[in-house]
This record gives sequence, C-alpha cells and structure tokens, in this order.
Amino acid sequence: MKAGEHRAAGSVYYVFLAGMALLCLAPVVLMVVTSLKVRTQIFSDTLTFFFIPTVSHYAEAFGDAALTRTLGNSMAVALFATALTMAAGCMAAYALARFSFFGRGVVSGATLLMRMVPPAVLVAPIFMLWTYQFGISDTLSGLVLAYTALNLPFVIWILQSFFAQTPPQLEEAARLDGANPFQTFFFVILPIVAPGMAAAAIFAFRIAWNEFILALVLTNRFTRTIPVEISLSISEHNIAWGKVMAVGTLIAIPPLIFTFIASRHIVKGLTAGAVKG
Amino acid sequence: MRAGYATRLSRIAPYVFMAPAVLIMAGALLWPLAHSVWLSFHEWKLGTPQDAAVFTGLENYRILLGDPDTLTSLRVTLVFAFTVVTLEVALGVGLAILLERPIRGMNALRSIFIMPMMIAPIVVGLLWRYMYNEQFGPLAQLLLLFGVEESPPWLSSPDWALASVIIADVWQWTPFIFILALAALQSVPTSVVEAARMDGAQARQTVFYVKLPLILPVVIVAALLRLIDAFKVLEVIFIMTEGGPGLSTEILSMRIYKTAFEFQQLGRASALSNLLLLLVAAISVGLVLFNKLRERANESG
Amino acid sequence: MIHEKIAAGAVLAALALLPSAAAANPYQAYSGTTLVVSFPNHPHYDAVDRVLPEFTRETGIKVEVDKLQYTKMRDKQLLEMAKPRGDYDLVAYVVFSKTDFVAKDLIEPLAPYFLNPALADPDYDPGDLIDVYVENAGLVGGKKGYLPGPTAGLYGVPFGAETSVLAYRRDIFEKHNLQVPTTYDALLDVACRIPELEPGMGGLASRSQSGHQIIHAWLLHLAPLGGRIFDDHWNPIFNQAPGVQAAETLKQILACGPKGGAGQGFGGMKELFLQGKTAMFLDSTVVSGEVDDPNKSRIVGKVGWALHPTGIRRGSQTGGFGIAIPRNSQNKEAAFLLMQWLTSKAVDKKIALAGGSPNRKSTFADPAMQRQFPHFAVFGEALKYADADWRPLLPVWVGELKGMIGPRLSESIVGDAPIQATLDELARRTRQVMEREGFYTYQ
Repeated sequence: MKAGEHRAAGSVYYVFLAGMALLCLAPVVLMVVTSLKVRTQIFSDTLTFFFIPTVSHYAEAFGDAALTRTLGNSMAVALFATALTMAAGCMAAYALARFSFFGRGVVSGATLLMRMVPPAVLVAPIFMLWTYQFGISDTLSGLVLAYTALNLPFVIWILQSFFAQTPPQLEEAARLDGANPFQTFFFVILPIVAPGMAAAAIFAFRIAWNEFILALVLTNRFTRTIPVEISLSISEHNIAWGKVMAVGTLIAIPPLIFTFIASRHIVKGLTAGAVKG
Repeated sequence: MRAGYATRLSRIAPYVFMAPAVLIMAGALLWPLAHSVWLSFHEWKLGTPQDAAVFTGLENYRILLGDPDTLTSLRVTLVFAFTVVTLEVALGVGLAILLERPIRGMNALRSIFIMPMMIAPIVVGLLWRYMYNEQFGPLAQLLLLFGVEESPPWLSSPDWALASVIIADVWQWTPFIFILALAALQSVPTSVVEAARMDGAQARQTVFYVKLPLILPVVIVAALLRLIDAFKVLEVIFIMTEGGPGLSTEILSMRIYKTAFEFQQLGRASALSNLLLLLVAAISVGLVLFNKLRERANESG
Repeated sequence: MIHEKIAAGAVLAALALLPSAAAANPYQAYSGTTLVVSFPNHPHYDAVDRVLPEFTRETGIKVEVDKLQYTKMRDKQLLEMAKPRGDYDLVAYVVFSKTDFVAKDLIEPLAPYFLNPALADPDYDPGDLIDVYVENAGLVGGKKGYLPGPTAGLYGVPFGAETSVLAYRRDIFEKHNLQVPTTYDALLDVACRIPELEPGMGGLASRSQSGHQIIHAWLLHLAPLGGRIFDDHWNPIFNQAPGVQAAETLKQILACGPKGGAGQGFGGMKELFLQGKTAMFLDSTVVSGEVDDPNKSRIVGKVGWALHPTGIRRGSQTGGFGIAIPRNSQNKEAAFLLMQWLTSKAVDKKIALAGGSPNRKSTFADPAMQRQFPHFAVFGEALKYADADWRPLLPVWVGELKGMIGPRLSESIVGDAPIQATLDELARRTRQVMEREGFYTYQ
C-alpha cells in the first residue's frame, strides 16, 4: 500500500469519526443553544445561527423556589442512593467473587435476573408497599431505598468482575499477616478495585439522578426530583421551550461532568460487564 | 474439635458481606414483585384504599389477553426492542470495524460518544421532541434549507412515530455498542491478524473470518444487554408521544403506566407487569441458553 | 382603547374597596396556615396566580400552588388523595373527574361548610353562580349520576368553567366578504375555502392529539350533530350516523386546517389561532383571555365571536374546571375559605380582568365588564345552549373508556382506519366494559 493512499484512507477515517461525533453532539448542543435563546428566536421558522445569548431562562429556573428545591432533592437522593448502593454492592460482589457459601448460586442467579426488571413493572406494587406497608412514600428515604434496590443487581454484576481480576495471592498474604477477612477486604482489596468502583458508582449515580417513573409516583411537592418536575411542567398550553431546555441542560450537567473526567473508567465498567456476563 | 476464631470469622464472612445487599433487594425488589403477583389477582382501583381490593382470580389476565390493544402493544414492544437492537448492533459494530485503528484524540472522542447515553432519558425525550417539532424544530429548519417546505409528520402520524422514536433510541445507544466493539477489536492479538495475513487473507477476509468471530461473544453479550434495556424504555416515549398517535408507540411499559394511572386499574396493571416480566425473562433466558449451546457446538466442532 | 382602560381601572378601584369589609374575622383562626392547592397549567389559573397574593394579604393564610399539566394533574391528585394523609388542601379538577372523586369518596360534600356560620359568607350569593356551570362542575348524584336533579348534592364549585364559542378573524372574513357560519354545513364550507383565499392560513384549528384531546374534538361536534355516547340505558350509540358524521367532520376540519396542525392538543390549537395561522377557533371560551394580550397574540383586536354552529341541534360544550376539598386534607376549613374567596363576586371579576373565565352571572352582567369585554354578550347567549350531557361524566368513561377509544379514534381520524368499522368495534368493546362494570344489571 502506498503512503499516499494510506493518508487518504486516514483522512476518510477522521471525517467519519468527526461525523459521528457531530451526530452525537448536535442535539445536545442544540439543547444548550436553545436554552440561551429568547422566545421569539426559538419559535422562529428558520435557523438562527447568530444571536445574543440570554441567561434569562436560567435566571427564571433558579428564581423558581420549587425548582431549586427539586434540584436539591435530586442531588441528595442520587448521592445517598449511590453511597448505599456502593457500600452494599461492594461487599456482596466481593462475597460472590471470592467465597463459596451456601446459597451462592441462588443469590447470583437471582441478582442477574433482577437486573432485567423494567422499572414500570415496579410502579404499582412499590407505590402500594411504600404507602401502606412501609409508610415511606413522599419521603426522600423512600426513593433512596427504591433506587438502591434497582441499582444493586447491576452494580454487583459489574464489580464482581473487578474483584475476580484481583490476584488471590494478596488475600493469602494478608491472611498470613494475621488479617481477618473484613480487614483484608477493607484495607487490601478495596483500594485495588477503586477504579472499578468509580465506574460502578457513576452508573449508580446516573440511574438515581435520571430516574423518572418511580419518582413520579413516590414523591410529593416537597420531595419531587428534577426529572419529575420537568415532565410535569411540560404543559399542554405554551411549552416554555427556553426554560425546559435550560432545566434539561441543568439535569444533563452532572452526568456530563462524570463523562468527561472519567470516560476511561466508564468504558472499563462497560467492557468488564459485557465480557464477564 | 473447636474451630479457631479466624476460621469461624471467615465462615460467617460471606454471609455478613451479602446481608445488606440481599436484605435491600429482598425488601425493595422481591417483595414488590411478589406483591405484584398478589395484586394481579385483585381488582383495585387507583384512589381507593388498599382494603378496597377485591379478589377476582384470573379475571385481570382474562381481560388483558382478550383485549386487542394488549396484543398491539406487545407487537409494538417487540418491534421496538428488536429493531433498535438490530440497528444499534449493525451500526455500532460496522463503524467499529471501519474505524479500528489507533486513533489520535480518542479520549476526547470517547467522552463525546458516551455523552448521549449518560443523559437522562427524560431529557433525551425532550430533546428529540424539540428536534422533531414540525414548526420550529431543528430538523424542520434543516429540511427547509434543502428546500423541503413541509416537515415530515415525525411524531404526529401513526406511520412515522415509531420510526422517529426508534431513531432517538438508536442515537442514544449506538455509541455503546460501538465502544464495546472497538474495545474488543483492539484486544484481538495482532499475531492472529498477522498470521491470517501471512496465509494470504485479504483485508476484508481477515475482518469477516478472523476478527468478527473473535469479538462475537462480546457483541452477543452487548446485544443482550441492550435488548434487556430496550424492554425497560419508558421515559423517552412517555415524553415524546405518550404511546400515540393511536397505539403506534404504545410499548408495554407505557401501557402498564396507562393501565395503572389513566384506566386506574392497579390490579390489571400488575397483571400486565407480570406478563411483561415473563416475556423479558423468557427472551433473555432463551438467548443466553442459545448462546451457551452455540459456544458448546463451536468448542466441540 | 383608553376608555376601556379607564373603565377597567374604575372596576378595579371599586373592587378593592369591597372585600375589606368582610375580611375582619372568619380568617383570623387560620392566619399563618399554609394551604397547598393543586391547580392546572391553564390560562384561567395563570390569571388566578395574579390575584392570589391578595388573599394572603387579606387573610394571613398562605397559599402554595402546585401547578401541573392538566392531563397529568388528575393522576397525581388520585395518588395523593388515596393516602391516609394528603398533601393537597384544595384541588382543581376537570369536570369529568367529579363523579370519580365522589364515587371513591375522595372529596368533601360542601353542604356542611355552607351551613357553618363561622365559615359561610352570607353575601356569597350562590344563586349568582352560573347554573349550568354549577350543575356541570359541582353537582353529583342527580339524573344519570352526573346531571342535575333533586337527588344531587354539591361537591365542588365551578372555577375556570367554560363553554364553547366560535372565534373568527373579523379582518379575514371582511376582506373576503365571508359570512360567519351558523350551521355545520356553512362552517365546513368556510373552513375549506379559507386556505384557498388566504394561502398559508388554515380554516379552523382543532385539537387532534391522540387520546383525550381527539375525543374532546369529536364530542364537540357529536352533540350538535345529534349524537350521544350512550342512550338512557347505557347502550353505546356513538357508532350510529351522527358519530360517523362527527368523525368525518373532524377529519375534514383537519384536512382544511393549518400546516402542522395535526396532532395538536388544546395548547397547540390555541397557539395556532393566536399566531394567526388559522382563521377560526371553535373551542373553549377561555381563549378570550389571551387573544387581546399583545404578549401572547398576533391577532389583537381582530377577533369576532359567534355561537357554536348548529347541526341538528344547538349545543355548546360544558367543561373546564371545578374546585373541591379533598377528604384527607389537614386544613379543610381554611381551604373552604379560600374556595369561597376565589369564587366570590368581587374576586370573580378580578380574575376575569386578569384574563380568566368568569363563573358568575354578575360578572357577565356588569356594564363596566361588558364594555371591557364586548364578547361577554355572545358568551352569555352561548351559555343558554350549553349542553350538560354532551359527554358522559362517568368514572368508567374518564378512565378506561376514554383510554380505549382515544387512540383508535386517532387512528381513523388522523390516520386512515375506516371510521364506521372502527366505531362499530369500539361500541362493541364499550359494551363489554360497561357490562363488566355492572351497567346492565337492570336489563
């Protein structure tokens, strides 16, 4: 193959890649751009490329007490649910990866099966249990519990493969040094799988931060999360696209920050899950 | 004989490690699922107290299975799930093969590719509802640049809506398959490819006869994951079409929501939930078993 | 224009004096309470937002409004009202929910409150509330369960109630020398001539979004064309000739409608009219609050009003909202005080001036208001023909039947499914549902 051809093929590759990146990016960029336009520009029939950006929609969003409350709720729920998921998930994944014990097969199989439960399936029974049996509907802890349960199967499944990759000699060495299994877990193994945990935590956070349908039925005005707020605000009469897009951008920001600081870990999490499935 | 303290500790260790996760999943996943089975044998209307639920046996299932709308919804669900997965796998794997080579700036690109799937489904729904707006949506404006005055009825026609919703899902999830396939391709040992080339294989042949079979297991698992997730989709459709126009985008999750909150039949919604769960489980287990058989056949053959 | 402003100012000034006399005592015990109200995102309630701060100033009772999209609002209210302790103290509901709420025992009968001398204002004058609105939004338990009659009781008060009128572009009609249609034949004729006369403009805007919206549009024509959903013994009859004709009418209206008009809901339809993309609007009176608002409308001063055209009979719709007190509210008395205040004579006028829909005869009859809103005369006339039975306000209709009929109707009106066959099949399935719900026990 001649060098020239090679270079030509190379530039075709890059054009392709750039095209793909543009396709992924364009709708998101449009969302941000729309959130910076004034109403008449949004409803214009033609494309406007140049305009003076306005932050009025963001000012409106942050000036809305109910909306800032829902942002706070979302943050609290997502962080607590992620923390709880990671705490319970790490321990369980470690046990499944390293110990053979009574009921291991059942738990492992059930976890895998529960990964495929569509959230819509849980709406009616969870509403009923949370309201009448547990008395935790309309509370943030009710949501945290639901999200933790929803996330655990997935997180355990990802983490298991990370724990399986750690060399068993480490535990052996720790045992010989007199560490009990708990010390070994917390001080020897956990630090090694930290990158895997980061990936799993991002996924757990993403679900808890983005989830909508359970939050819709499990919250009231005070405990509403941001995806619910935005869906309820899309009114039939006059969709305020500017504000909706501004809030949409706000919702997208935390997951996007993670994407940019930890894309490598995310991919590792994805591949680990897929390869060891 | 007395077991030592350490031995006893390591014997209980796995149970202690498992306990929190098992408790949470049992209480907040298994219990609701069991409750859903119980509910499905009752008529219980939204807005009435729990003790107003009346036992009706299999009535809910009978009504559902005799309702042509349930079957329409089932068909829409299957078409949606299998179409998005097929398109995403074909596009994702195809692009990965095209673009497989050390790429400069891959870190930045990777972040961009991951972006769509990190965004909240509710926002994806909004985004595409805006994109598809027939009066001022970006797609309509783009078409206007090319002289197309009348925007296609993206979401307002029963013939277009499902395709439009599928496009949104393909936009969001093709990068997932692409990244997985690319990672798998890059882990194919160069020696294998070299060996094939030494044997005189053309570039195209190495792709189809050497590389693809090697990454097939990863692709299959990725496709299975996507299939499971495709059955979980609700928010995007909830925001974009609410299942309409007509029943053209009424996937089962949407139908469950409507049965529970619009028709106010919580018992019947639970019955439909159980049917969906059975369907997903049957398809997943079926595919996993098929994959296992295929692998075994490959090993022995 | 200036005259109108002065008149409006005078009305406001006069109104400002009124409530202070009554504000003295009934509210004292509840001062400092916070009421949570569930209101829809709807033009009438936008107007209410502007008036509500006055209530807090006068009474010391704070009000938090939870504003939701109106078709989603009901689901949320039902979830909330099913709990032992609810979040809402006052709920607005689309009138068709009244029987559902009462059948499930979710809202309070209002008689005890009107009997309570510590709460009821002697000057409230319930007889001044527009009768058909009270019947439609508030009375439950009369004929068929949802119509007025000696056995009915009051569970809610109309607030943001409405009927249907025909709004048309005076300028366009004058320009082309068109007659304002009074019959359905004339309506369809004009609607389909306008796109030819005014390229780029549609004839008549209509709702057509799958589900609730398209059913509403179909029913709007079904009653004037002589049809009903059920006969008096709950046999479905909507697949008879008027039902088919109503569907065909709607289909034709959409075909002659504005570009991009298919699949719109109430808001989309209203926007098309306000932005000047159609020459006519045949739906809720509430649009009148916005047509002359230059911030929202491009057709200020160009709109004329007429009665809903006649088919076989004259019948305008009755709909909109009522307000009620949930059983599980923790502040029922204060909620009643808010309800009474919002629907009082003085506040009714204030809300109308802010762009809302009046619910009282005195507001329509007020000369200053009539000068400000000349269309009130037409609205008053339309109310005489308001048809309280244009749709069955049954729980099973609101829940299951609408959910079943809506999508299929959309397939045959927006899509190409054959109308007669679709309606026949829907009638058959409606009968099954009604049977299951026990409506044929006496047959």
